[in-house]
Amino acid sequence: MEIYLQFLCNGIISGSIYALVASGFSIIYNTNKFMHFAHGNMVLLGGYVFYSLVTSGVPLIIAGLVSACFLSILSVLMFRLVYSRLQSKNASNVILLVASIALLGLIQNVIQIIYGEQVKVIDLKGSNESLEIAGVIITPVQIVILVVCIFLFVGLYFLLNKTNLGRSMKAVANNQELAKIIGINEKAVKELSFIIGSFIGGIAGSLIALEQSLAPAHGVNLIVKGFTGAIIGGIEVVPASILGSYLLGIIENISIIYISSDFKITISFGLLFLFLIFKPSGLLGQKSSIKK
Amino acid sequence: MNFDFLTILFIQISIYTLLAVSFNFSLGFTGLINLGHIAFYGLGAYTSAILWQKGLPVYSTILIGGMVAAFFSYGLIFFIRKLKGDYLAMATLSFNFVIYSLLLNLDDLTSGSQGIAGIERPSGLDNNFAFLVFVVLVTSLCIYLMWRILTSPLGKMFQAVRDDEVLIRSLGKNSFELKVKSITISAFFAGIAGGLWGHFLGFIHPSFFYLNEVIILLTIVIIGGLASLKGTILATFIIVFLPELIRLLDIPQSILGPMRQIVYQLTLLIILLFNSRGFFGKIDLE
Repeated sequence: MEIYLQFLCNGIISGSIYALVASGFSIIYNTNKFMHFAHGNMVLLGGYVFYSLVTSGVPLIIAGLVSACFLSILSVLMFRLVYSRLQSKNASNVILLVASIALLGLIQNVIQIIYGEQVKVIDLKGSNESLEIAGVIITPVQIVILVVCIFLFVGLYFLLNKTNLGRSMKAVANNQELAKIIGINEKAVKELSFIIGSFIGGIAGSLIALEQSLAPAHGVNLIVKGFTGAIIGGIEVVPASILGSYLLGIIENISIIYISSDFKITISFGLLFLFLIFKPSGLLGQKSSIKK
Repeated sequence: MNFDFLTILFIQISIYTLLAVSFNFSLGFTGLINLGHIAFYGLGAYTSAILWQKGLPVYSTILIGGMVAAFFSYGLIFFIRKLKGDYLAMATLSFNFVIYSLLLNLDDLTSGSQGIAGIERPSGLDNNFAFLVFVVLVTSLCIYLMWRILTSPLGKMFQAVRDDEVLIRSLGKNSFELKVKSITISAFFAGIAGGLWGHFLGFIHPSFFYLNEVIILLTIVIIGGLASLKGTILATFIIVFLPELIRLLDIPQSILGPMRQIVYQLTLLIILLFNSRGFFGKIDLE
């Protein structure tokens, strides 16, 4: 029983990371209606910026916020220079996806040129010392991750449901033409969702830099996990994609008990493939909205 | 640029031309948004290498590699038949990821992250120039076969499926069967290209068949133009040749690889932004 509890806890922690990636991705998808696959390497870039700041002596919280703001600005540039231009040419979703895959690779290679291929680790005193709480081993960094996630997701809930901005985002997500008619600046809303999504991505990147190591190839993995989580829950509903990500983290970690941990990645790729084929709207998503 | 360097470059161009044309066969001519094409290439390379290790003659292993790739493509198309647009693109891309992770983790069969080393060329072709002649012959034959199929009534049907699937069905044709034919033919030739690549390099690794290769392939096909054979052939020449020019600059080896990739990615973005039909493209990606 104890072993299940430990793996469940590990699952919730990796699920938190996936959920941070998935929520940003899903916010961007909702208003823009295309898959911003480059988000994975944006998150990774956020981690590297955080790494640079922390190793040159900037306090952790400020470093995290700076890296989140940096990603927001970069994503606006990306939106204006690439995505928005393609959208105004009425490019299909597949073209936008191809463009975002190109951007994904581009960011990865830029990271590789700047930081090299070696793995980067932030070494803080005591941050990865294990504590035992109720029979479960957990590190201080992992507790920070859980707490940050709770605050961030509650904040996100209020932002999306209780503010005018959130309502405009919902309006654009449901019906762009109608949103335009009632006077919502849909381009600004799309840009704002890039800003919010990438801000969360920057925080995700910083937490990843604290808990794990950084390497140029990790970004693809991050977006695949985040995307899988979003698809499992339902990409069109932000809370659903967050829950889906936690579910993915838990499934992955529990499965280690039964099969080799090498197959962790095969399981998430396989789940992604199966969900896309049999249930593309996810467990909690509305069925009608996917089919066009 | 000495003679041997050029020979090796032309072998690469030849194999890539075959791969890119086979990709355009299903993507451009039949309109199947298939981002999993590299998986077929990898399956061909691995099948051929593994069977060669078991002692089968090289020519037959390359052929079997093509067949295995075609077999997998049949499974894939069966599953994804109801998906459209970016969901189809993502499902095929995730198929690519599944195959990649299997190649990486089925250690007993594929020797996992160590890759398979010491793959030999067919006997008598150890000389690079002799191998180039062999590769050019195989590639020309395969492209000729694909061209014959595309200009035949079957090829016209493929294009009709792309342009108006409902119309094809209303004429009593089975559009799914046409898609199956298209993707299996395309995967077969991708598998052949993979086999040639493995026996040329002598070493294969799962990372050769991952996202970076997908980007290169998309760049080639989109620059050359969808549904254009001559465009694809021309674009392969340019895209494989272009980054070789970076090699002439004096930059360290560790930066050379990423720089080469950046050239591909920027080219792809610029093409998408300014001329999404490429050189000879007849249709847009939908």
